[in-house]
Amino acid sequence: MAFRDVNARRHIGLQRLSSLALAGRTFLGPMKSCKFIVDESTNQSTLICSAVRLIESLDLTTAAGQLLNETIQAQKKEFNTGMSTLLFLVGAWSNAVGECLQQNVPVSAIVSVMSEGLNSCCERVQCLQIAIHDVNKELCSSNISAPEEVIPINSCSHQENDCNFNKGLVSPLASFGSIASLVKPVGDKSTSVISGSDVIASSCNKQKLTHSRYFSTLGKRHFSSQQGNFQGYLSGPSADPCECYGLGHLAMALSHGNQASTKLLQSIVTYQQERAEHSGSSQFNIAEIVTCCLLGLPESYSHVSPGFVTLVSPEQATVIKHFEDKPLRILLMDGDLTEQYRHLGFNRPCNVRTILEHPRLQGGREGDLWLSSTLDILISFEVNLVLVKGNVCENLMERCIANSILVIGSVTRDVLCAFGEVTSAQPVTYLTQLNAACVGSGAQAELWKVCDGRAVDLGELVPVRIKAQGIPLLTAVLTTTVASKMQLIEDQLWTLAYRLHHALNDKKVFLGGGAVELLCLSHIQMLAEQPLQPANKNAVKEFHNPWLAASATEYKSVVLPALASGWKKYLSVVMCNTAKAASELEACALVDHHLKKAADCGSPSAYIWKEFRRGDLLRGGSGPFAGHGVGLNVYDNVTAKTEAWRRALDLVLLVLQTDAEIITGPKRHQLLKSHASSEFMFL
Amino acid sequence: MSRLEAKKPPLFISEPLNKDVVSQSLSLLSGILKSCYGPAGRLKQLHNGVGGYVCTTSQSSAILSRLSVSHPVLSVLTASVQSHISRFSDCGLFTAILCCSLIENFKSLNVASCTVIKISKHLLGLCMDYLKSEACGCRVAVDFSSVETLLCLVRSVLTSKPACMLNKSEVDHLTTLILKAFMFTVPCHVETDAVLGKCIIVPVKGGRVADSTVLPGLLIETPEIKLTKPLTVKRTCSNMIKIALFCVSMSGDCFNHEEGTVTVHHGISLEMSELDQLLNVGKQLVNDEVGLVVCQKVIHPFLKQYLKENHVIAVDRAGLSLMEPLSQMTGSKPIASIHLLSPSCYGNLKDVCLESFASKHFVHLIPKDAVICSLILCNRNETAWDELKRACETAEHVLQLTIKEPLALLGGGCTETHLASYVRHKSGSLSTSSLNDIDCSRAQYQLVADGFCRSLESVACSLNHDDGEILTDMVYGHCWFVPSGFPSVSNWSDLVSKCGCRINGNTENLNWRLLQGQFGSPVIQGCPRALGKADFLTLDCFAAKCSGLQVALETANLILDLSYVIEDQN
Repeated sequence: MAFRDVNARRHIGLQRLSSLALAGRTFLGPMKSCKFIVDESTNQSTLICSAVRLIESLDLTTAAGQLLNETIQAQKKEFNTGMSTLLFLVGAWSNAVGECLQQNVPVSAIVSVMSEGLNSCCERVQCLQIAIHDVNKELCSSNISAPEEVIPINSCSHQENDCNFNKGLVSPLASFGSIASLVKPVGDKSTSVISGSDVIASSCNKQKLTHSRYFSTLGKRHFSSQQGNFQGYLSGPSADPCECYGLGHLAMALSHGNQASTKLLQSIVTYQQERAEHSGSSQFNIAEIVTCCLLGLPESYSHVSPGFVTLVSPEQATVIKHFEDKPLRILLMDGDLTEQYRHLGFNRPCNVRTILEHPRLQGGREGDLWLSSTLDILISFEVNLVLVKGNVCENLMERCIANSILVIGSVTRDVLCAFGEVTSAQPVTYLTQLNAACVGSGAQAELWKVCDGRAVDLGELVPVRIKAQGIPLLTAVLTTTVASKMQLIEDQLWTLAYRLHHALNDKKVFLGGGAVELLCLSHIQMLAEQPLQPANKNAVKEFHNPWLAASATEYKSVVLPALASGWKKYLSVVMCNTAKAASELEACALVDHHLKKAADCGSPSAYIWKEFRRGDLLRGGSGPFAGHGVGLNVYDNVTAKTEAWRRALDLVLLVLQTDAEIITGPKRHQLLKSHASSEFMFL
Repeated sequence: MSRLEAKKPPLFISEPLNKDVVSQSLSLLSGILKSCYGPAGRLKQLHNGVGGYVCTTSQSSAILSRLSVSHPVLSVLTASVQSHISRFSDCGLFTAILCCSLIENFKSLNVASCTVIKISKHLLGLCMDYLKSEACGCRVAVDFSSVETLLCLVRSVLTSKPACMLNKSEVDHLTTLILKAFMFTVPCHVETDAVLGKCIIVPVKGGRVADSTVLPGLLIETPEIKLTKPLTVKRTCSNMIKIALFCVSMSGDCFNHEEGTVTVHHGISLEMSELDQLLNVGKQLVNDEVGLVVCQKVIHPFLKQYLKENHVIAVDRAGLSLMEPLSQMTGSKPIASIHLLSPSCYGNLKDVCLESFASKHFVHLIPKDAVICSLILCNRNETAWDELKRACETAEHVLQLTIKEPLALLGGGCTETHLASYVRHKSGSLSTSSLNDIDCSRAQYQLVADGFCRSLESVACSLNHDDGEILTDMVYGHCWFVPSGFPSVSNWSDLVSKCGCRINGNTENLNWRLLQGQFGSPVIQGCPRALGKADFLTLDCFAAKCSGLQVALETANLILDLSYVIEDQN
């Protein structure tokens, strides 16, 4: 066993956390900058725009890295939003805690003050919660009439100073259906000043990273050709924002400016609400949404189709043409459709030998027997459509196509269940267990058509739509011509969908746009100023003598600002990313300005309520938008946000309290021989 | 052709304790364990260095089970601590730290090891007699008619594991849950031989601690059964649900486990015949009015479909760990063969329903009168969840030990310092006849007793991790902590507020002195006094700590007594 002291000079674990988290700061806020992750061995690169994808692509063999990954994955699994916040705060708090250590604050004092501080803040910000019920009322009755929209621009950061094409992938703009807005390229570090609209381009981020590479010469060539197109009007059909969507408005307020996803989600919500009125089911059900990615169509073709849209081969598509509009008998299979497949937990016997007493000279092989018997079963039950959870045997697929049976593999469990419910088909594992009751009826299949009625053929694969009367399933068909953006678009839609899902689950949302963080800052200021509140009797009892009380106050005056610095950095980085401030310094000054005003006002929460209701407070104090108050409402998830904070702090404190790594297993022997062995002690 | 190699002679190592490498390893191990001790203990990240799972912990059970030690002396130590942990769960670090300290202190004494062993056994006897006597000033009686002391016991276990990452309200919530779960396992109607039930921990990783809860009965995870439809179960005439419990695989593959080859004719499918057999079982189950079939392993989908069509709920993959409590709870006998199905094997349940926690779906089996319960345990990330699970199991075990022997010891280092001052007091006034019995001089006895007391005190000192001071008072012999950064000249009474176990407040002048102080520390005149009651005490498990004390001393004696290590080099 090898043993390494983590605290050799400064806390190594905290340093690792902070350096990993540094890479994620451009993913913060509504204006995210994408990154290219390049695999140096294969030279392949992926475009990423979220903390999860970043962490997935990084080398995380260190213990701190593993714990960070685990924490982010847990947040993703639970909420699917807030991961970038989590990553950022992990970095900010690791730095802050490291500074506390340098000032000789004992670890136990850091741990208790920080976790109590966070608890206190989480309680304090409850006053910024708005019940969903009130949100709907408000959103439906008010405004959003000003011709003002935030257009998201996926800007890609880059290292070079010389270029000013900092708005990267501009093509989606054309399809966002936004109100005519002028987009102008903005030079380095200048604040964006564009009249008529608050379209904002992000300023150049000059983060240096070892893990990612920015646009290389290839990227430069690609984009410089587009540079000329930046100056021009982007126009599209104007969406009517005043139409009363109900949840649609909430979706928009939670989208933080991501219009493409908002539109899709709004159509999903519209469909589901219509259905809910008829059937009394829940208003928004995330389990009834699937996505289908179509590469090669412009992004304006993205839309939501009732039913299940998926990609099949052209041969399978020909089967659909045979179906025309007739109702299909449908079979659901919850395993693979191959001869060798056995259900999970079945162990193949290895000691069975089959002997053949009367060899028949002709007569097919074993496999052919299975093929024909399978096909016989399908035909005898008059099955037209088979949805299979796993893989499908190639040969069987061919035979089925010849017999006009459409077999689709790799269908998720949720989709099978949805079809099961409306067609009364029962999923089976083996065809041999099939009986008439298992086969459903009333499914329909057709070629998926784009909104103008044309069927699409994307070369190798053809999108088809399968539906049934009353099926609750909705497919968000996501289209793009840029392959690397596909995953990004899908991720964004799911993030938004989960935000709406959790908002409805929580039955409340936070006032967004930095209001919550600002209140935390002001609350901590107050905590630090009133070291031992008389209300907190326990604390007084605990430190009933002046010496101890003094020491507790001293630590608090160091640790509480450290906690606050996390949120302050968060706000300033968001403001920089969205170009609402030219530098972090300016952003901090602006935050301080508002903190002071809030403190002077007497009731910080009332001040924040008032200011944020008028619009986005942290828009920039000196710019032309100051006082130009009417804006979109922005909301945040309650639980997802506070849990992201808590998880981030927990991770930092967990690593802080760790004083040693113990390396077990075979790695020990390598360490024993390696040059780093002096760092280790061996047992 | 086989190659013969001459056998290497075994390696003799004499006086292993005097070897540098051993004492270095021993002090490293002791350092690791000391740094883990207590609520402010530092955590260790245990991992394989190549990106695998990282275990963040300060618990001896987790550290020792993953630690591979190379030297036999260390193996003796870790093995005996682990065997203590397996019997008592709690006080593992106490045992290990005390053992290391005893070895270090005794080794430096310059007294023959056989004399040290004799004297230390006598000292242990003194301690044990004192701990078991009514006059003992560091123990409290546990009153099972009120929950206060029990809550203190559980809370002390939880707060001594900082890697669980719990805040105050979460500690309170879990403390209540663990006690509630324990109450479920105590049978209501006790006959002559009462047997405690079992609390099963159901993992819900990623959730908030506050979402943890306790339910009577058992939960089996079933991803397949959808929550949307309510369950309809067949009931017997007495309105109970008949349950059949299978511990054999029903996946249709179990026809041959033996060696050798089975030869079958072409066209005969063993799989099909096995499936027929299973369907026959299914028919019998349906005829016997069974409402619920639970299988430890996998049920063939064909059989599942058959059972479903006949309105029998089938739940598979229950797992081995659930089988015993399932059988205890329902009164059913696990069926080990699909060929013999006796109706006497069936058990009964009051109700079955569906529950879901976070994103997991469960079938909830509710018995008539439960001594089995499920603790649905949530924590935000995996490493903290694992730590919390170990802590909960320890707490549950501590309660079980306490119901057998309703006593608890003062925690927070107070028992150690109190015992040390008791031993110092007693050893000064030992009669000559006793010394003759032990066959040692008074000076030798004093030396060993001092080493023993310093070892005990060093355990208490290990609770402090930020450089502050540790004091003990001359009245009660309790342990007091002073935060760092104060001039040591100032009056101690200005700096201390409560003793380690929180029973004492700083209300009178207790004549404090530094614990890790100079030699010849003043001895208490008279026995350390016992104290009354107080709320929110830090308490330790009596049985576990007593055993820890014994194990530590006996192991230390064994290691001191080692004169040779014989290593087989082949």
